[in-house]
Amino acid sequence: MLGLGDLNLTYLVSITFVSLYVSTLAVLFSAAIGLPTALAVGFRDFRGKSIVTSVISTGMGFPSVVVGLVVLLLLSRSGPFGEFELLFTPEAMILSQTVLALPVLVSVSLSAIQSVPQDLRDAAFATGATPADVGLLVIREARYGIVTALLAAYGRAISEVGSVLIVGGNIVFSDSTSFTRTLTTAITVEARKGNIETGIALGVILLALVLSVNALGARFRDRTPGGERQ
Amino acid sequence: MAIQRRRFLQAAGVGAILGLSGCTGDSSPPQAGEGETTASGGTSGGATQELTLATTTSTYDTGLLDAINPVFEEKFDARVKTIPQGTGAAIETARNGDADVILVHARGAEDEFLEEGYGVNRRDVMFNDFVVVGPADDPAGINGMSSATDAFAAISDAESTFVSRGDDSGTNKKELLIWDAAGVSPAGKWYREIGKGMGDTLVQADQSGAYTLSDRGTYLATKDNVDLEIHVQGPLKDGPTILKNPYGVIPVNPAKYPDVNYPLAMAYAGFLTSPEGQEIISDYTANGSQLFFPNALSESPQFDQYVPEDYDGGNTSASVSDPQFEQWVSENVPEDF
Amino acid sequence: MTDSNRVVGHESVGESASVETRLTARGLTHGFGDGAILEDISITVEPGEILAVVGPSGTGKTTLFRLLALFEQPDSGTVEVGGEDVWAMPDEQRLAVRRRIGMGFQTRSLFSTTVADNVAYGLRVRQSWRTRLRDAVEDAFGQTEPSPTVERALETVGMSDKIDRDARSLSAGEAQRVAIARALAPDPDVLLLDEPTSNLDPRNTAAIESAMREARDRGIAVALATHDMQQAQRVSDRTAVLLDSTCIESGPTDRVFETPSDDRVRRFIEGKLVY
Repeated sequence: MLGLGDLNLTYLVSITFVSLYVSTLAVLFSAAIGLPTALAVGFRDFRGKSIVTSVISTGMGFPSVVVGLVVLLLLSRSGPFGEFELLFTPEAMILSQTVLALPVLVSVSLSAIQSVPQDLRDAAFATGATPADVGLLVIREARYGIVTALLAAYGRAISEVGSVLIVGGNIVFSDSTSFTRTLTTAITVEARKGNIETGIALGVILLALVLSVNALGARFRDRTPGGERQ
Repeated sequence: MAIQRRRFLQAAGVGAILGLSGCTGDSSPPQAGEGETTASGGTSGGATQELTLATTTSTYDTGLLDAINPVFEEKFDARVKTIPQGTGAAIETARNGDADVILVHARGAEDEFLEEGYGVNRRDVMFNDFVVVGPADDPAGINGMSSATDAFAAISDAESTFVSRGDDSGTNKKELLIWDAAGVSPAGKWYREIGKGMGDTLVQADQSGAYTLSDRGTYLATKDNVDLEIHVQGPLKDGPTILKNPYGVIPVNPAKYPDVNYPLAMAYAGFLTSPEGQEIISDYTANGSQLFFPNALSESPQFDQYVPEDYDGGNTSASVSDPQFEQWVSENVPEDF
Repeated sequence: MTDSNRVVGHESVGESASVETRLTARGLTHGFGDGAILEDISITVEPGEILAVVGPSGTGKTTLFRLLALFEQPDSGTVEVGGEDVWAMPDEQRLAVRRRIGMGFQTRSLFSTTVADNVAYGLRVRQSWRTRLRDAVEDAFGQTEPSPTVERALETVGMSDKIDRDARSLSAGEAQRVAIARALAPDPDVLLLDEPTSNLDPRNTAAIESAMREARDRGIAVALATHDMQQAQRVSDRTAVLLDSTCIESGPTDRVFETPSDDRVRRFIEGKLVY
């Protein structure tokens, strides 16, 4: 099995699980924050809107390591939120990944949402929709773009290494179960040890994971009622 | 690494079975802890305590901690959260109060950490040494030199490519100390700081035909993947004392951070320096070679492990520790190592 | 039945109930920035009649209809439904009033889903979140029968056979008919149609006009914005003429077309007024 000979199954399964767990929750949180934000920014005209949108797209390229360092400072015992003892936990990783996934999600879904014609929103309103209904309708109309946004955010979260390494601490317990080690940070360990083949093998697993998530997303997208029909 | 981990668990398991059946041998380390294990077994229903250990990558990547920590965890009903970082980063983590105990190898930085009051009760744990490695064709002609500073000076003169960790790790600190001692401030295109871990650095040095400074443990563990050769040996093989690589354990001062698990950190320091912990260290091998030499046990008191390295009326550094170190080497390292 | 006088007379109990649904605009003035688009417009749509609002493009018909559909509050003037000032109401009550008004648009406005889902939209948003969630779950696990209301609304526009089609696959005319079915499905008291047949072929135009008449016959107050004089003459009971941002003439359609009191109206009707 391609250079994985010296990694046991418990280890592989648990780092994969941590990767999925952290990225999935991070994407869910950023969707919960990001979609309403995209709706609000997309539909409203306000002073400084162009500044807000360019700040959001700049956030897409924000260095993850910097996010990691900021979260580290905040969560450290000597930092403002030290009392919660969140540093070096999966929760800290979810926090930093949410921050990283958010701009991607908002930015991509914003353009999808803005491409929903005004006419459809008007039609919904005139058919008796409340603002919340109109928002839901727009999300439904923009579902292709939003699923793409979710996948892009997921891709960013699951393949990211800099910030999870810093705020997670790359911890594995002595029974080979991962606490805060993900596939990506496991790859850094292998690289550090010079085990290039093992690192690449882990990369292949990561790639397969991202691929399956994308396939799942595409499937969901195509099966949504009113979506592309066979 | 995982093979070794599995092998160890197997060995421990076998030892336990033998222990139960009464056919005890004196070879199974878990037995020493059996009394305590049973004692703490009464508390096993209670919460398992967690110990956050910030440490250098060399102890982690070589698999040593995979051999030590399970035994400690069993004995103290604890869970060790190991954060492998460079020595600089590990000390910084502890300085922020985010670790309970550190296991590192940069005496100067450790002393500073202690003097600032962040750490207490430092203990020597073990040592190995650094080696200067490089391509087989040895463009700077340093092979066999008995002085690391001469070798570094030669590399600088020849402007042969040198790859530096550049990550404030213990190895990096040692490397800078050697340049300093050689009277060279490395600069120029031949000197490359890469900010990577030891294994990456060895791979990169290998790929670019460069010299680098490596701890012996990681070099031995990585040897199969790279074509680098040792050109200057460390003190374990009669090399210069400047290449010594001593590891210390330091609990974080509970007076600075009341939330740290100080009792468990002290237990960890105590375990590492106990006969049992020291035996695990000396039994641990990779590629058939012993990687670390324990030095916590001694017939006579070792004051220098508690006081700053240069403590000797403020005179030249290493005046106390170097003879001490040489003594350890002669006592612990087999002739044929 | 198609006689507007029947309604104007307010004779029966049924009609006294429908008086409450009369839509009235009083002194509407509205604009964007520099100039007023609408100036002091007063207009009434009675239940059971079709009011045609005619005028050349750019005279503010669409703005007027958006104000009538409560998209936004006019700069000045009032919109009243059943005699009550809509913008003086609390939000919740205004939503209830708004839900008694249906609207069709000039542009394509169907959602990217099936015809049935489109027509059911107005019914769905009027239900509790709990019911909607349950329906969504049921919908996800198998086909649910379209409600009779949806089927009836599609019948009105002659689109029953397209109920399962994807709305995006419809022609422009078919889409417009479905959009009107969507407006009719929640059984509104007022139906506003903004240029519903511009650029449509005669067959689709006829289907929409027939739907308008059927709505009127059910007692719905129908307002139709159109630039097509012949259509206004064909279907409406009363006509209001918008010119230069204001209403220059209104009255029974026959009278307005035969003896316009304003010379500009006469020239406009004869197609001689060019903008």
